[in-house]
Amino acid sequence: MNTIILIFIIFLAGAILTFLASNIKGLLKEVLFLASVIVPVVMFFTGVKAGDSFNFHLAGFAFQWEITPLGYLFALIVTGLGVMAAIYAVSAMQKTKNLGLFYFNFILSIMSMLGILFSRDLVSFFIFWEIMTWSSYLMVVYQGKDVQKVGIKYFIFSAIGAYAMLMAIVMVYSLTGSMMIDKMIQSYAGFAFNMQIIIPILFLIGFGVKSAMMPLHVWAPGAYSHSPMAFTSLFSGALSKMGIYGMVIVMAGMIAYFPEGHWFRIVIAWLGGITAVGGTLWAIAQDDAKKLLAYSSVAQLGYIIVGVGIGTPLAMLAALFMAVMHALFKGTLFMAVGAIEKQTGTSNFTEVTGLIRKMPLTFLASLMGIIALAGIPPLGGFVGKWMLYESLIGSDHYLLVIVIFFSSTAAFLYCYKFLFGFFLGQEEKEWEHVKEAPVLMVIPMIILAGGTFLLGTFPGLVIKPISAGLEQLGYAATQGKYWEMSMLFNEWGDQVVLEPILYAIIAVFAFFLVFLLIKNHKNTRYVSTKDISTSGEVPKEHENLTFIQNFFQPFLRAVEPLMKRQIDFYYNGFGKGIEALFDFTRRIYTGNGQTYALYAIIFVVIFLLLKTTLFGI
Amino acid sequence: MELFLNILGAIATVILAFIVGMSYGGIVRKITARVQNRKGPPWYQNFIDAYKLYSKTTAIHHGWMHRMGPAFLMVSSVVTLMFVPVLNNGGWFENMNFQGDLIFLLYIMVFGSLGMALGAGQTGNPNSAIGVTRGLSQMVGFEIPWVMALVAMMIQYKTTSITGFIEVQQESGTWLMFSSPFAFIAAVLAMLGMFRYSPFDIVGAPSELASGPVSENGGKYLFTMMSSGSIFTFAKLTLYVDLFMGGANNLLVLLIKTFALYMVPVLYGLVSPRYRTEQAVRYFWGWPLFFGLLAIIYAVIF
Amino acid sequence: MVGSPVLLIAVPLLAAFVIPLIGMIWKELVRIVPGLVLAYMLVLSVTLLVEVNQNGTIVETIAGWKAPWGINLVYSNLTGLLATIITTLGFLVWMFSYRFKRNVDFEPAKKYFIFLMMLVAGATGIVITGDIFNQFVFIEITGISAYALTAFYTGRNSAEAAFKYLMMGSLASSFLLIAIAIIYSQLGTLNMAEIASKMHTMDPVFKVIALIFFITGIGIEAEIFPLNGWAPDAYTEAPGPIGAAFAGVVVKAGIYAVIRMVFTLFDIPAAHDFLITIGLITLIVAESTALRQEKLKRMLAYSSIGQMGLVLVAFGIGTHAGVFAALFLMLNHAVIKPLLFFSGSYLVFNSKEKRISEVNGLGKFMPYTAGLFALGSFAIVGLPPFAGFWSKLSVLTAAADEGLLLVIALVLIVSVIEIVYYFRVVNRIFFQEYNKEESVVPHKPRFNAIIAMTVLAILILVIGFYPDAVTGMLHSASSDLLDKSGYIDNVLQVGQSLIR
Repeated sequence: MNTIILIFIIFLAGAILTFLASNIKGLLKEVLFLASVIVPVVMFFTGVKAGDSFNFHLAGFAFQWEITPLGYLFALIVTGLGVMAAIYAVSAMQKTKNLGLFYFNFILSIMSMLGILFSRDLVSFFIFWEIMTWSSYLMVVYQGKDVQKVGIKYFIFSAIGAYAMLMAIVMVYSLTGSMMIDKMIQSYAGFAFNMQIIIPILFLIGFGVKSAMMPLHVWAPGAYSHSPMAFTSLFSGALSKMGIYGMVIVMAGMIAYFPEGHWFRIVIAWLGGITAVGGTLWAIAQDDAKKLLAYSSVAQLGYIIVGVGIGTPLAMLAALFMAVMHALFKGTLFMAVGAIEKQTGTSNFTEVTGLIRKMPLTFLASLMGIIALAGIPPLGGFVGKWMLYESLIGSDHYLLVIVIFFSSTAAFLYCYKFLFGFFLGQEEKEWEHVKEAPVLMVIPMIILAGGTFLLGTFPGLVIKPISAGLEQLGYAATQGKYWEMSMLFNEWGDQVVLEPILYAIIAVFAFFLVFLLIKNHKNTRYVSTKDISTSGEVPKEHENLTFIQNFFQPFLRAVEPLMKRQIDFYYNGFGKGIEALFDFTRRIYTGNGQTYALYAIIFVVIFLLLKTTLFGI
Repeated sequence: MELFLNILGAIATVILAFIVGMSYGGIVRKITARVQNRKGPPWYQNFIDAYKLYSKTTAIHHGWMHRMGPAFLMVSSVVTLMFVPVLNNGGWFENMNFQGDLIFLLYIMVFGSLGMALGAGQTGNPNSAIGVTRGLSQMVGFEIPWVMALVAMMIQYKTTSITGFIEVQQESGTWLMFSSPFAFIAAVLAMLGMFRYSPFDIVGAPSELASGPVSENGGKYLFTMMSSGSIFTFAKLTLYVDLFMGGANNLLVLLIKTFALYMVPVLYGLVSPRYRTEQAVRYFWGWPLFFGLLAIIYAVIF
Repeated sequence: MVGSPVLLIAVPLLAAFVIPLIGMIWKELVRIVPGLVLAYMLVLSVTLLVEVNQNGTIVETIAGWKAPWGINLVYSNLTGLLATIITTLGFLVWMFSYRFKRNVDFEPAKKYFIFLMMLVAGATGIVITGDIFNQFVFIEITGISAYALTAFYTGRNSAEAAFKYLMMGSLASSFLLIAIAIIYSQLGTLNMAEIASKMHTMDPVFKVIALIFFITGIGIEAEIFPLNGWAPDAYTEAPGPIGAAFAGVVVKAGIYAVIRMVFTLFDIPAAHDFLITIGLITLIVAESTALRQEKLKRMLAYSSIGQMGLVLVAFGIGTHAGVFAALFLMLNHAVIKPLLFFSGSYLVFNSKEKRISEVNGLGKFMPYTAGLFALGSFAIVGLPPFAGFWSKLSVLTAAADEGLLLVIALVLIVSVIEIVYYFRVVNRIFFQEYNKEESVVPHKPRFNAIIAMTVLAILILVIGFYPDAVTGMLHSASSDLLDKSGYIDNVLQVGQSLIR
């Protein structure tokens, strides 16, 4: 039996079995859950290789599932993060009600993402896309918070995106008579001009929604923060990448017929830039870690969209590398928030402080995640950022590079807020009982964070498959021109050599750490955070001096004009207007039989009067 | 053997930077005092202070992050220094001059402040955190004109490496501060913020915030921070000289150029009152930003 | 051959008279016998469909009077398919409502089951008859049973709803009679095939007028906007399973009548555009109204109307793909909407008001029923991998082939609205807290009801995962509908051969 179809069958059967076993006491459901995630993943890594395919016909459409190099790259993200998140989830979700539903949707999400990546025809692409949408939707509403607002908003936007995509798909079908993605890309150049414009825009809406591109991002903060964190790490890390994947295959393929700097590319790139800035600024203003990370995800995806939009080889490398990195560090960070929420019961900075000594491993993972997120060397985030800047400068997008730079500098603000809010500041009696998260939650975090570290010095490990994926899209080989295992080059040959940098940093750090500690390691004593210099007054036990309220108020005051209104406001207004309009149409049905009879009479009379115009007779 | 030599070179560079930075600090204190009609400490006062701090015994700590903070800070200054060519034409140890470019430098320069900020955070002193938020906010302010200046030059001369810029200047024979004047103006205005002299010294305002991030640090911690600051000052000044003033062929020229450049923020600071954070941020997004834009337009046109 | 199509009508009509008599022997028989009859109809219709699929259309003359003089029944791929859908649903509704509301007495139960049987028989008749006046008679039979079932609870509201239905129904009858009279006066025949073959000779003005009266008359049954005012009230006030029967049986028959007129009887090309327009209006108005409903069954009713609008749009496209999509939609709707009505009626079982806000948190107490409701919701809004997706996809591809981009856009926008109101309910059921004061007291569904719902759920999944299970049937049915001359030949040939 073909391994590809077997993978899907195992996923599906596993999901159903886990769901059914959810009411049985004991560890059966956990075992089933892990097995149904890990077994197909192992099969994926051992049993299939790029180029394998599976074809069949259904409902008059030809279906083709094939593993392409690009799909393989994204599948690495999905499977890697998926397994980590699954291990984390088993521990994190203990003692939760309705666990079967969680596991079921978790498995289905992973399955549908792999399905999207394997699909070479638009029908199965869309089918898996929608399965992904509703399974993630069920995760968003899973905890029962704000379901009618946040959940429905997520689904409305997803549906708008999916249906825009569906419209494009059926248009392509009627134009080419085929549902194959390759066929669509090949025949794109032959479409009529208006189709050439409408179809990419519709696809862009579809993918833009999933990748939380402004102005289609408004669902993201709520949805990310309301799903269980075990899933959000996958949601933000992998699921949103499906939008990026779609953009890459469809946009890069279709727009490839246009020269670089085509208006459509510029539009995408600038939308990405705006997304990055907006996401960052709103992230700074958040007091809830989940919301902060959610907005940060929006911003990070903005960078990726910029890269995809620019579309030069270096920019594509940057975008896809950042996609991998984002999966790693955002997965780590959401898991860390989940761990903190599980141990303390809150994810709000203003409530919980000073956890560093209680949850040191979580702190370590978060620290690495944050350094990677901020793009500071020697962790992997830097590599992506560097390539993005270089590609922007090298392809003459001067203003965009400033915008991106602004956004990523401002990102330091929320990065610090995240670490400070949870881990630093004054330790409080209230949180004295907090313990480190269970080991099964910590291990995935540490592994993912370790990934960012590894890729910071040896980015070639990931750029190699990325480069293979790009070659599939028709790009020239990039190894040696833009990257080596641990070196990066820009268009003009300027380089960054990562390995010695790492060693230098480690050497300097170690030297000064030893210098600082060599004599006073044993002689110094630990003093609590209450024992500080505050103009001679020692704060009392109950006095919390931690500075966290209005953390970045001065900065926010400075950027106030940019943040006056959220686009959400307009969407809500639009939604209300629509509902009011529908309320009006509802009144057509008066509930009065006479009116109804009158309608029928009027109907007949109107058509009798207009019969000539209507029926041409 | 080669590695050993490299390490030796690095150490020599660090020592040079330390000495120059410390002396500059002392001279600035003197100048400040004279302007304010005081006598002021001697120019070597900083060395004395450093020695005093170094000799102190540390009695307390606030945890591991607190201890690592100064080390983080040091990483950033030393690594930055490694990437900045001290003298032209290989007149000084090469260090890691060719292994990173400006954009890398921009990022590694932030590394220290973030690590420092974490260390400061663990002490639990609210003043530290307040100082950090101010510092970070201000950084977002001045980075924009600074990056605009750099981007303008990068697109004008089609290189992103510092050595590349030195070569450009040597080939053309003119300093970049003359051939891309707007970029230079924007960069210098950004420098005002970078050195945190008045009016941008709200980060560590001594009387208001108990020196902000560095409060709760003493002894060796403070010594490390102080030396790191000196090294960083030297590294940044050298970077500016390399980028805009044609680099230097020997140490004396370097000292003159860096000192002259250093006087810009110092003297400007002496005659300025302190800005609030949002004022500082808005300041950088005013004229400096405008000059940055001009620089980019200039670079695109020429 | 197990039987002839005529038995599909004759048996239930006969049983309707017998049931009260045998009810005197053992009261339970009143419930059982209709079920047996419906089961027989189901088996018969399926067997006939298989037969038709192999050997071609069966034309049955009644009482030896040959077409075009006598009444004849046409059991073709299309009519057979619809008849099968109708009888299947009829049987499932019976199975579901067997002992639905235990406290119902013998007398109402008797009426209920007899009328249910009549409803199914009438609807089957509408579909398989080949005679226009005969169709009118069946419409009346269906209508009268429907009025009676609407008024089943004999409360004020039921009576009002039933009266509205009755009023609209009588209007429909008069319009239909006018239309039939016009046609008879012009063409001198009531046989559909003969009307179709002679239609080109008819005066265009009369033709159009007849069409308008027809569409209005049947449109009332087929829930076309603005003739569907009765529908929400009737769906809401009738017992839950009857709502399912309306959605699955009555409306299907009505739609069949409309398309038979447009596709076979009348040769007016503009009628297709008319169908698209009126279908879109129906779709948009109904779905937007559904968004603002507060009662569960009312919401389902408007959704049902909206779906019928979409069916009309698909038929209006007029190509093979369009007809295929429309039939697929009808099939899916006939599977999904009853499931929603079945499970929905158990969700609000103990509620007086049947408000949507009362279902909060019920998922915890009746997971299976609630899960099936969710499945139905997922399927009806067209999420893959459930049944509704394939029909929606085929509608869209059919529309795209004709370049009807505006139609595609509108259908998709309306689908978003549909998603909103269905998911609001699903959210309430599963993800909001059960509130003792507001929420309904949960009511465990009976075993037979569970079976009925499960059958529908399995159908949804089967069609969803393997649409080819039905597409073959649908394709031959759509070819059958489009093959006008084939229809005429089939019917009239039988007549001629007998004359000879």
